[in-house]
Amino acid sequence: MTFRAKLFWLFTVALVLTIALIAAGVTVVARKAFDDSNSQHTEALVAQFQREFERRGEDVAQRVQAIANTDSTIRMAIDLARPSPDMSIYVDAAQGVARSHHLDILDFVGNDGSIISSAAYAARFGYKLPWIKSLTAGKTVGWVAQGPFLMKIDTQNGPVVALLAISAVRVGDKNLYIVGGERLGREFLGSLVLPPGMRALLYLNLTDKFAPANLVDQSGAIAEASRFEPFIENERKSPVERKFTMNWTSNPAKAEVFSELPLSGRNNELLGILLVGSSQREVVILQRRIQALAAGAVILGVIIALFLSWWGAARVTKPIRRLAEGARAVSGGNWDVRVNVLGGGEIGQLATAFNQMTQQLTEQRERLLQAERVAAWREVARRLAHELKNPLFPLQTTVENLRRTKEQNPSQFDEVFRESTGILLSEIENLKTIVRRFSDFAKMPQPELGAVNVNDVVRSVVKLFEAQFGAAGRPAITPELHLEENLPSIQADQTLLHRAVENLVLNAMDAMPAGGVLMLRTSHQNGHVDLEVSDTGTGLTPEERDRLFTPYYTTKRHGTGLGLAIVQSVVSDHGGRISVESESGVGTSVHVELPNRPPENPRPFADVESKSNGAETKPPADTKDAAKGSSNGR
Amino acid sequence: MKVRLSLFLAASSVVLAALPAFTARLPRYGGTLVMDVGATVNSIDPSVAQANSDDGDTKEQIDGLLYAQKNADGTFAGAGPFRIQSFTPDRKALLVADGQFEGGRPFLDAIQIEMGRSLQDRLIDLQLGKADLAEIPADQARQAAERGIRVSRSRPDELIALVFNSKRSRANDPRIRKAIALSVDRDAIVNFILQKTGEPAGGLLPQWSSGTAFLFSTAADPVQAKQLWSQLAAPPTITVGYDANDSLTRSIAERIEVNAQGTGISMTAQSLPNAAALSVDARVMRLRMPSPVPQVALARFIDALNPLAGLTVSGTALGDPADPQQVYNTESTIIGTYSVVPIAWLPRVFGLSDRVRDWSTPGPGDDWPLANVWLDNIDVQSKKGTS
Repeated sequence: MTFRAKLFWLFTVALVLTIALIAAGVTVVARKAFDDSNSQHTEALVAQFQREFERRGEDVAQRVQAIANTDSTIRMAIDLARPSPDMSIYVDAAQGVARSHHLDILDFVGNDGSIISSAAYAARFGYKLPWIKSLTAGKTVGWVAQGPFLMKIDTQNGPVVALLAISAVRVGDKNLYIVGGERLGREFLGSLVLPPGMRALLYLNLTDKFAPANLVDQSGAIAEASRFEPFIENERKSPVERKFTMNWTSNPAKAEVFSELPLSGRNNELLGILLVGSSQREVVILQRRIQALAAGAVILGVIIALFLSWWGAARVTKPIRRLAEGARAVSGGNWDVRVNVLGGGEIGQLATAFNQMTQQLTEQRERLLQAERVAAWREVARRLAHELKNPLFPLQTTVENLRRTKEQNPSQFDEVFRESTGILLSEIENLKTIVRRFSDFAKMPQPELGAVNVNDVVRSVVKLFEAQFGAAGRPAITPELHLEENLPSIQADQTLLHRAVENLVLNAMDAMPAGGVLMLRTSHQNGHVDLEVSDTGTGLTPEERDRLFTPYYTTKRHGTGLGLAIVQSVVSDHGGRISVESESGVGTSVHVELPNRPPENPRPFADVESKSNGAETKPPADTKDAAKGSSNGR
Repeated sequence: MKVRLSLFLAASSVVLAALPAFTARLPRYGGTLVMDVGATVNSIDPSVAQANSDDGDTKEQIDGLLYAQKNADGTFAGAGPFRIQSFTPDRKALLVADGQFEGGRPFLDAIQIEMGRSLQDRLIDLQLGKADLAEIPADQARQAAERGIRVSRSRPDELIALVFNSKRSRANDPRIRKAIALSVDRDAIVNFILQKTGEPAGGLLPQWSSGTAFLFSTAADPVQAKQLWSQLAAPPTITVGYDANDSLTRSIAERIEVNAQGTGISMTAQSLPNAAALSVDARVMRLRMPSPVPQVALARFIDALNPLAGLTVSGTALGDPADPQQVYNTESTIIGTYSVVPIAWLPRVFGLSDRVRDWSTPGPGDDWPLANVWLDNIDVQSKKGTS
């Protein structure tokens, strides 16, 4: 992945994440705000219920007290105080009084707790209220002072939960109790002012098990009341204020959050549960809007992020890309490249440094080339002087000997002349040989490609040198051929290839003055053929290895320094590469890699690697240029 | 002489002083009696008339007053000593005295019947002198009397009973019926609901008719009731029905429910939309004595109860005249099955204005004795009546 692509994705991800985080944060904050608002509404509603509860209680107490203060009630109390009172005349009294005082519950109860008249349970006259038996003398005040309270009482239509208040009229030593109250139910809920989206439910704990009919709202029984069962049962087991969420459907907008408020009686028995429900519709709608906005913002943000990232990455990487292109050009040998980067930042400084570097490299290369040219010409001059000096000295001494013999010993002149002319011709031949070699190097022909089997070339060269391997008077050299069978033919110039192998074999032989093993190995892989020529000679020093392919460089007494330069030239012309591994005292191996088919535009010079003890070094890039002088091979 | 004269004068003075009182007790002709009734009748033709009444007996009496033989000219003349003068369907009827009546002209000149009057209206009318005669439910008699209304009671002739439905399997167990019968506190019903107007009933005939009613127990025994109920393997919930339009049977049914629940019996009272509803295990019924004759009344009762209670005895088995022992045995057999649980006897109660004279509350099977009724203080006309 390119630096620009990395930057692009980095910018994109950062922007998208930022937008997503903002959207999520807004959602969370909005949700919390709604939750807080709902909690406040719920608390307000619960407080309103409690206020209404207290107000209704006080109202009920006032109405009960008003009933106690009426003449008819006092007359009833007086009748009750008579010996053997006949209270049957009052059996229907409670119903009319209850209606006139708007009470759902009204019982006139005798001193012994027997019901004289009951509005809600008319047929129960004469029966005793079990809980009112505790109303003995002296405790009446306590009952009255206790104020209104919740209680489960029986009526003609079954048990109900009522907000009750008790008053008493005492005549003589007997009390007439007036028990009045309002039924807790949907009418009570109807008095609550509910904010939009909220509703109040009331569960009346009248049965041992959850009864859906006991759960009502302002309009009566509610639908799907049975779904409240687990929450109601939980509250019945442990009556504390708690919250729960009712998911009516899979649609979260239909959900409601309910707060439960237990309603207890005098003995802390659970008589009812107030459920304040808050619809999640508005919250979910807002949340969805925020999510939609966030999604839109994310999509828009992604588009913008993609554009900005593309633009930013392009802007940031443009100078770097130019620098990379410049560096690639430099590595390709074009040291004249310059990077044009505006700005004074790090990238600008880097570009400036790069340009300075390439400029300095160019200048140094020019200086180096100049120096190397001078050095090469000096070397050529030195070599020419050295090579030409050797044949010239015998020529000079032979000519002087002829002159001296002519002057001092003419009788031997003919004999000396014959010998001297032989020497002169021999040395002149040497001079011609020297000149021809230099001329040959200068005139390396272009390869004429044809199908060539490298194994055949190797065998041909070994056969050529067979006589010399075991020649008398010199240590024997043992050739070992490891030639891969079925080696594919390659497109090459057989003559040049033969000449290159010949030079490699010659060098190997020269490296083994004390004899040794000459190993030639061929193989092929991945579309090229490998040739390895190894000797068990003295090996090369690092310095020798570095200069191995330098033309006219030789370590041999009679070498021209052109042998490996010719090999490198041939390999280069075939688009191959050559490398050397050498270890001093162990031997040297030359590896040649030739492609099956040379490229149309072969590299100007073969890739060369020289290795020593596993290390690899590269010869100077301008080796070929430097080799244009003259020298013998290694 | 002086003494004789003094005695004569004194005697004359006494006679003169007593004369107004004496003459006041003498029947007088004239006047219009205003009668408030709760029922309404939409026609005087018995073949097409549709009556509506919360009070069946009053309706019957209106029928007796209004429905008459058809005259030759197609008009209805009415029956008895009064003839129909005007009729407003469901509202009002005016009957005038028939001077040609074979039994003699009645004392009253006219009877004005106001139909569709509620109980409260009737009581108010009586209190205000707007009405001279109105039938009052028995349970309201005491209240009416306390409001200063002149009240006339008959002998108890209406039986209120709890009748079990033989077609309901839950009522087939006699232990259930007996337990419920023993749980009923009749005294409380009579004292509180009937306001002491009536008497607890143990038999199917009143004491004044059969003379053997005292042999049937009216006492509650909640302990035994609870014991019986506890013997049931799977105690059912018994439903007791009552006529939705009859507040008295409703109160009694609810009290029976309370009594039953007090002894652990599971029972619910429910109203029935019409008299023929048989969807309950038992129902509270009113049974008016059709005749003061025991065997006649018992036979009619049996006939009336049989469709619901499925009694094993038949009214026709009773002879005419029947042996009192046979009547008692039949009555006892029925009571012993607990299929019919007598609760209370009610009298008929009428409210009268102060000027109504010679009124006698009709007994079982009797017509209203309006032919003998006369009005005292005729000058004080009813404010509602016509002159």
